[in-house]
Amino acid sequence: MNFINRALKNVTRKMSKSLLLGLTFFLIGNFVIVGLGVSSAADNAKILARQKMRAVVEYSVDHEKMWEATKDFTEEESTEFYENNPVEITLDKIKEIQQDPRVKVVNAIGNHQMYSKSFENVLVGNEENNNSGGTYFETDEFGNTVEYEHIEPNISLKTNAFDNMIEFEDGIYKIIEGRMYTQEDIDNMSPVCLITDKLAEMNNLSIGDTVTLETMELRSLEYYEGATVEDITIEMEIIGIFDNSEELDPSDPEYDWMSPHMSPDNIVLTTESYINSSKLKLEIMAFDSGKLEYPDIEYYQDEANRPSLESMSYKSNIIILLSDPLDVDTFVKDYTATSESEYLVFDANNETFLKLSKPLDTLSIFSNIIIWLVIINAIVIITLVTALTLKTREYEIGVLLSLGVSKTKVVAQFFVELAIVAVIGFTLAVMSGSMIASSVGNAVLDFQVATADVEIDEDNDYNYYAETDYFTEVSLEDITSKYEVTISPWIIAQIYVAGLGMVLISILIPSLMIMRFNPKKILLNTN
Amino acid sequence: MSILKLENINYSYVDGGMKRQILNNCSFEFEKGKFYTILGPSGSGKTTLLSIISGLDSPESGTFYFNGEDVNKIGLNKYRRNKIAIVFQQFNLISYLTAGENVQLAMTETDNSVPKNQKEVAYALLEKFGIVKSKADRLVSRLSGGEQQRVAIARAIASNVDLIFADEPTGNLDTATEQEIVKIFKMLTEEYGKTVIVVTHSNAVSEFSDLRVKLEGGNLIQI
Repeated sequence: MNFINRALKNVTRKMSKSLLLGLTFFLIGNFVIVGLGVSSAADNAKILARQKMRAVVEYSVDHEKMWEATKDFTEEESTEFYENNPVEITLDKIKEIQQDPRVKVVNAIGNHQMYSKSFENVLVGNEENNNSGGTYFETDEFGNTVEYEHIEPNISLKTNAFDNMIEFEDGIYKIIEGRMYTQEDIDNMSPVCLITDKLAEMNNLSIGDTVTLETMELRSLEYYEGATVEDITIEMEIIGIFDNSEELDPSDPEYDWMSPHMSPDNIVLTTESYINSSKLKLEIMAFDSGKLEYPDIEYYQDEANRPSLESMSYKSNIIILLSDPLDVDTFVKDYTATSESEYLVFDANNETFLKLSKPLDTLSIFSNIIIWLVIINAIVIITLVTALTLKTREYEIGVLLSLGVSKTKVVAQFFVELAIVAVIGFTLAVMSGSMIASSVGNAVLDFQVATADVEIDEDNDYNYYAETDYFTEVSLEDITSKYEVTISPWIIAQIYVAGLGMVLISILIPSLMIMRFNPKKILLNTN
Repeated sequence: MSILKLENINYSYVDGGMKRQILNNCSFEFEKGKFYTILGPSGSGKTTLLSIISGLDSPESGTFYFNGEDVNKIGLNKYRRNKIAIVFQQFNLISYLTAGENVQLAMTETDNSVPKNQKEVAYALLEKFGIVKSKADRLVSRLSGGEQQRVAIARAIASNVDLIFADEPTGNLDTATEQEIVKIFKMLTEEYGKTVIVVTHSNAVSEFSDLRVKLEGGNLIQI
């Protein structure tokens, strides 16, 4: 007849007491399960909605903040301000971010408009109505006005500092032949590229062929003293052909104005390092000529500003794709603390999400408050009931002590008695609570959503400069549609743990009372 | 050889601002296998003495030995669990257990060697004391006073101890039942070789005992 056996017999043979306690635990269990269920559903809905959103973070210049800071400055003050607040993301910082284990891909993209020489661009489809290009006028050395034909660039050379791009991860770009450039190609500044399947098809190009491009209009060479055609010519071997699933929208109001280089079919991918090395000479030429032409401009006189491969790799904007959407907030928090400038900010497009998830936050807080209130009240009630019961069980405790049963075992018996009733009460509560939780949770959410609608409608604050191409917008419906109150095994486990925790805390004061019991006083004085 | 030896036991308490010396250098030796009764007027300290020698309380000073071993060294809890058993006037059985389960309880808690078939042993013990199986399966609250006291005695010997204390064990019983209970105590000494020490007012009980001891002036004197 060990203490567990005794506890079991006490529970089964003192039914009225057990039923009352069981009912108490059942009611407590229902409140806790509703609270936990609703809270968990709210948190899950947020997680699912967050997962639906891309795990994208943009690190870029906060133009609005800079404008706010400088709007009342004089021109001189403004110049000084921009000199003292570098707004470029260094390659070191980009590499540091790329090496973070939470990061999947970094797009440190460069877009270079080019002129194809050895091949034709794919037609956009707007050629009949296209008004881009045309002519422009300049004054020649003799003071005569000369009309020039403006030639629009027809190829977009897209570079990245790394051997992957978000577009490949997203399946927007798919390599259908050959390969992507490697880190080795980047390190060696290899003259290699990938072209779209449309370009390859149109020009009958294949892997191993060479394509030639010019980095600027031939006529512009005259601005660079001593520059030759070779300086603006780049030749690259095709190592891959990819499919770009992006398409131009003919209904876009800008469609008729779009140049061929804006077509997704006219994209060529190459390494950032190669294109920078190809353009470096002309950049230095431009700097040197500026130095001679503008002796008063401090920028050109400062050798630190002389273009280099490193300075050409600086960016004003990078896009970071994380592996897990749930890491976004901590990632932004971690890197915001180490940002190179207060005007370089990390943006996870969280504002809308946070605003929309407010009803769920309220629901979660409300549920947690209910849970804690119930638990605290339950502990007080059970403590009082157990303490009062002790008085009626004084003889029993005295007898057990007189038989040499340790006080610890007496306390253990009381704990097991409560635990048995609690487990039964909570088991019944799990069954009934599952049904209640769903309807209570939905009712409260409906109320919260109705309130939140108004708040969101009133909000017109958005970032004009924000690059949203990589972000996925999320609606209130997206978030609330994920809200589903289900009682998972994890919640059930939590309820039992909470129940046993309550029993354990509730038994503390009665235990102290038992420890003070003296069998002599109980058993002999009364005789 | 003595089973219990008391050496200079002292115990006092303060009552109405006055110190009352209940036990005063009390020394005595109880022999093994005998039936003792301790007599004395109300307030003489019989129950206090019983509470000390049964390990429910500690003396102010003095030592007592069980089979030559200092009880303080054994530990009061262990002493109560393995060396002695107590029968109370109000039986003090556990109300939500049956008679059989109350007897089994003593067997479960002791560290002494007890039979494995505790349930059967409990039935057999109870039957020996006049509690048939059908009654042994009843909750003790449904038994008469005499029956409950028999259950209490069965519980006392179930733990296989050599020394049994009883505090006014027949105080709540009628004369006929008192006789039966006393016979059982006698039987415990004669058949089982137990030592029984009973604190009582009753002459009927003391007449059956082997030795009668009187508590007088805080000390035990054999009559």
